[in-house]
Parts: sequence; structure tokens; C-alpha cells
Amino acid sequence: MKKFTNLLLKEIRELINKQLIISLVVMVLLFTMMGEMAKSEAKKAAATQKISVLDLDLSELSGNLIGQLGQMNFKIDRMENTDTETALGQARLGDSTLLVVIPAGFGESVGRLEKTEIQTYSFLRSFSLGNLRKTEVVKALISAVNNYISNDFLKRNLPDFEPENLKNPIKTREFVIVKEKTAEGSAAAISGFVYSQSIFVPLILMMIIIYSSQMVISAIAMEKQDKTLETLLTVPVKRTTIVSSKMLAAGLVGLLSALIYMIGFNFYMGGMMGDMNQAAAGAQLPKVIQELGLVLNTKGYAILGISLFLAILCALAMATVLGVLAEDFRSAQSLILPIMLLVMIPWFISFFGDVNTLSLPVKIFVLLIPFSHPFLASQNIMLKNYPAVLYGIIYMSVVFVALVVLAARIFSTDRVLTMKLRFGKKKAVF
Amino acid sequence: MEPVLKVQGLKKNYGKLEALRGIDFELNPGEIFALIGPNGAGKTTTLRIIATLLSPSDGNVSVFGFDLKKDADRIREKISYLPEEAGAYRQMKGISYLKFTANFYARTNEEAGEYVKRAAEIAGLGLRLNEKVGTYSKGMIRKLLLGRALMTRPALAILDEPTSGLDVINSLEVREIIRNYTKEGVSVLLSSHNMLEIEFLSDRVALVDHGRILDMGTCPELKEKYQAPNLEVVFRSAVR
Repeated sequence: MKKFTNLLLKEIRELINKQLIISLVVMVLLFTMMGEMAKSEAKKAAATQKISVLDLDLSELSGNLIGQLGQMNFKIDRMENTDTETALGQARLGDSTLLVVIPAGFGESVGRLEKTEIQTYSFLRSFSLGNLRKTEVVKALISAVNNYISNDFLKRNLPDFEPENLKNPIKTREFVIVKEKTAEGSAAAISGFVYSQSIFVPLILMMIIIYSSQMVISAIAMEKQDKTLETLLTVPVKRTTIVSSKMLAAGLVGLLSALIYMIGFNFYMGGMMGDMNQAAAGAQLPKVIQELGLVLNTKGYAILGISLFLAILCALAMATVLGVLAEDFRSAQSLILPIMLLVMIPWFISFFGDVNTLSLPVKIFVLLIPFSHPFLASQNIMLKNYPAVLYGIIYMSVVFVALVVLAARIFSTDRVLTMKLRFGKKKAVF
Repeated sequence: MEPVLKVQGLKKNYGKLEALRGIDFELNPGEIFALIGPNGAGKTTTLRIIATLLSPSDGNVSVFGFDLKKDADRIREKISYLPEEAGAYRQMKGISYLKFTANFYARTNEEAGEYVKRAAEIAGLGLRLNEKVGTYSKGMIRKLLLGRALMTRPALAILDEPTSGLDVINSLEVREIIRNYTKEGVSVLLSSHNMLEIEFLSDRVALVDHGRILDMGTCPELKEKYQAPNLEVVFRSAVR
């Protein structure tokens, strides 16, 4: 144990170097800054929008309409005694998002139930996220105008009826069923919310696997490059101890790095999606999700944790085998590619599709990749599909044991010194 | 007296290449035994096999009675190996590197402290031991590694080109250190291209070429046998 600790501490000290600390700090700062910027843009977009209105009709209806817009989170800048061209010039110089032109004869046309038009001019001053949201104001405005006109007409002609009931006589009540549980809510909203909540699990996993694997491969490559491996292999310590200390150190540092990365990412996403989550909470979506059992309980978290941990162990064992093939630090950089590919495939599938809808050969291929199982685990746990998760855990355990045995065997023979994968060079014997 | 090391019919193949074609020799306690020969003769391969780094293709090697194939872990407790192109962890301070290695051999912290103290004396790097290895010259790293190799007073020290990269003064110091350690019972197996060094250090010498030992004996014996003024001429005559 003393020898293992000695090796583990050495590996951790080598991995946590200045470069790693600086890159992590910069990354967190960058994410925080981006999140704050996104938050401030979102606030600006959600604030009262200033719109310019040129009323060429000057009827009672147009007056009422402008008054109505004033009550709907729009700050109205009325332009009087001018034509469209001049109004456009003035609005362009100001900070209005939109110029609305109500044409002459608008009130009369509406009174005759004829189709009429209102012109809107949007000022696209940048392509930022905030500005994109501002452009949605046109849609909201037209909807408000149509609503006002139709409600006004219905109230005048059918005063005994509620305009809303006449326009939308059928009201839908949506129910969602998950296994044996039923709750009232929108399937699309629930799917979207669960998706947004579980999106972080694959992301964290992907980060940890790539970080840790790169560390293991580089650590072995550096031992070879700096000619320290030969000496290390002749000290009185078991080869399995050397292998496991490298794996554990990389796993711990990878976990720490991913955690710090996710804290930064959380700041960023908090800025980007903060208002979205608030809206969801307002709609009592989390309560519905609770009713449907689409949440991870302690048991669920424990199973997911085991699944994630086994995937990380598989990656580290795989990286150890690949690390032996590295000749130096440079060649180690390309050896991470196989692991990256094996992580990216299930990540893309879990992000954009559903493994159950894939054809059988592709599905088998995906399930043979050990990293696929934790990607599928969070959804399977929520849907109480425990056997699928359990099979994944058993499969990953078998793969891990096989890889560790392979890594230990390689380290116990002279292959650890003689195995090399050279790119574009003739293979040498010595 | 039982030999420290027995090598019998040692062979090593790398694919189709026969690196060692049957090496036989013994090393006695407190003896310095040297392998000399040109590049690719098989010296380093022989040392790496005895240091438990490579497995032999055929033949037997026993170190202190332990069979290399079965008891590699036990052998590692008794030996210390200094490879020709060895390095130390660049991010570590010299003193930390010595402590790191000492912890594998020592049973107590006091014992580890003793080892580090001895290694520091051998290396002779003074306060530079408190600096990172990455700042050391090649010669300083070599001295640090020699300190590491000898700090535990191993029963068998395997030194591949021990003075490689050192200047004349440092080389002389290192040779003195190795010589003195054999007086304390340490046996040394070394290889070198430097014939002067071999003559100064070795009790016996083996001439290695194309994976075989051509001849073996003390330096005076070999010089007399080949009627040669020095080992270089001895080797040239033996190869012919």
C-alpha cells in the first residue's frame, strides 16, 4: 500500500501541473463571462420593447389599437404629421426595434370585414442572440393586433358571448403516461424539460473520459520519452501496482477537471437558459415530472454512478493499453483518437436520436461500445428500465476486467518496452 | 562462495533477429564484471534481461539463487539498474526524485532518509538537489541517477555505461564511487565503451560480439593471451 501511495502521489503531482491549473481557471472565467453576457443580452431582450408607430388612418380603431399595444409591454413612440419615408428615416436614427405603419382607410376596411394590411419595418442592427429575440416582437405584435380586432368585432356583434370561446370552442387537456403513471401535461414540454435536465450527464461523461484517457496515454508516453520507464520497471513494485496507480491518478484528476469544467459550463448555461428554467418552473412542469416518476431517486443516482464509473474505468484501461503503443508524447496525441471515436458515436446517438430505433446490426454495434451504456442509463433509469442498465453494468465490468488483464500482461512482459505504433515510419525492431 | 549471478545459454530473439545467441558467465560477490563490445553486440540486451526488463527467449538466469522467470519480483529487491539513456522526472526536484525511489526500498521513513542522504553524497549535487530535474545538465542527471542506483547498497548493481555524458573529472569521481562500493560487498555488472574505464574498474571482462561471448578473463590475462598492449587491441584480435 505504501508503494502504491508513493506512485499515486507522484502521478497526481505530475498531472496537476501549472498548465492544467491555468487552463482550467481560464476556462471557468471564460464560461462565466460568456454566461454573464448571455444573461445580460437576455435581460435586454426581455425588457420593454420600444416601437415606433405611424398612424396614417387616425380612426377610432387605430387609436384604440395603439392604446392596446401600449398596455402590452411595448413602449410606443408615436410619429405624427409625416409620411412613411420620413418616419422610416427618423426611426432608423433612434433605438426603435420596429416601425409600424397603419395605412389610411384601415378602420374602414376592418369595419367592412375586408382583409387589410399593416406594414412593419424591423431594424436589424446586429445578429446577436438578444437581437434575434427582438425580431420576434413582429410576430407578437401581429398576433396582438389580430386578437384585438377579432375580439372587438365579436364583442360588438355578439355581446352575449365570450370572444375566446367563439374563436377556440375546443379546449384540449393533455395527459402523459409513463409506464403505469399518468399526469396532466404536454408530452413535448415534458420531453423537452427531461432532455434539458439530462443533457449534462453525457457531456460530463464525455469530458471525463477524454480528459482521463489523454492523461493516462500521455503519462505512459512521457515515461518513455523521458527514459524513466525502464528505471521504474526495475524497482521492487508489482507491475499491476504501476498500472493501477497511473489509472487511478488519471481518473481522479480527470474527475476533478471535469467537475471544474462543469461548474464553468453551469455558469454559462445558467446565463443562457436561466429564464427558460424559470418559465418551466412557473408552469409547474417539475411537479408533473415528479408525478410521472421521471426523476432520479437515490437508487437511480447510485446505479447511474456505477454505470458512469465503470465507463471511466473501461476508458482508463483502454488508454493504458494504447499508451504502451506510444513512442513519445507527440505520438500519444494521436492515440486518443480511437477512444474519442468510441465516445463520440454513442454521444451523438444519445444527443440526436434513440438507440432503440436503430437497425439491429447498428444497434448491436452501438451496444458493443462500452461507453454507450452510461449514455443510455439515465433515460433507462428514469423509465425504470433497470434490466437494460444492469446488462450494461455487467458488460462494462467484463470489458474492464479483460482490459485490465491485457494491460497487466503487457506491463509484465517486455512488450511494454518493445511495442510501438509509428505513423509513417518504418517499424524498428529495437 | 555461491556466485551472485549465473547466466547459462542466454538467448534473445527480436522477431527473426538473434540478439543473443547463447551467453554464459557468472559473477562473484564483490566482483566488478564488465561486458565490452561494439554497438549491437548484445551488451545492453543482456543487462536488460538480468534487470528483469526483458524476458529471455531461451537459457537460464539466476540472481542470488532466484530464477529470473519465476521470481522477478524478488530479484528486483536485490538489484539496482542504471540504463544507458536513463532520465529522471523533469517536474520533480532532485531530492524528491531520490525520496520517491527510496520509498520503494525502505521499510521505515528513517531508512528512506538514510538512503536519500547517501544518494545525495554520491550525486554530489549540493543545493542543486532542491531544484527541478528539468533544469539539470546531462552530467548532473547522470550523477543523480548513479546516486539513486547505489543509495540502497544493492547486492547487485547493473550499470550500463555509468559515465556516459560525464566530463573527465566527474567520470573519475564516479569510477571511484563504484570501486569503493564493491569494497562494501556490492557486486557490479557493467558495460562500457570506454576501455580505460573498464581496465580501471573491472575484475573480469567478457568480450561480446554478435550475441556471443568471444572470450573472458581478467584484463592482464586477456592482454597476455592476445599479446596486446591494451583492451582495444585485445578486442580487435578476438574479433578476428
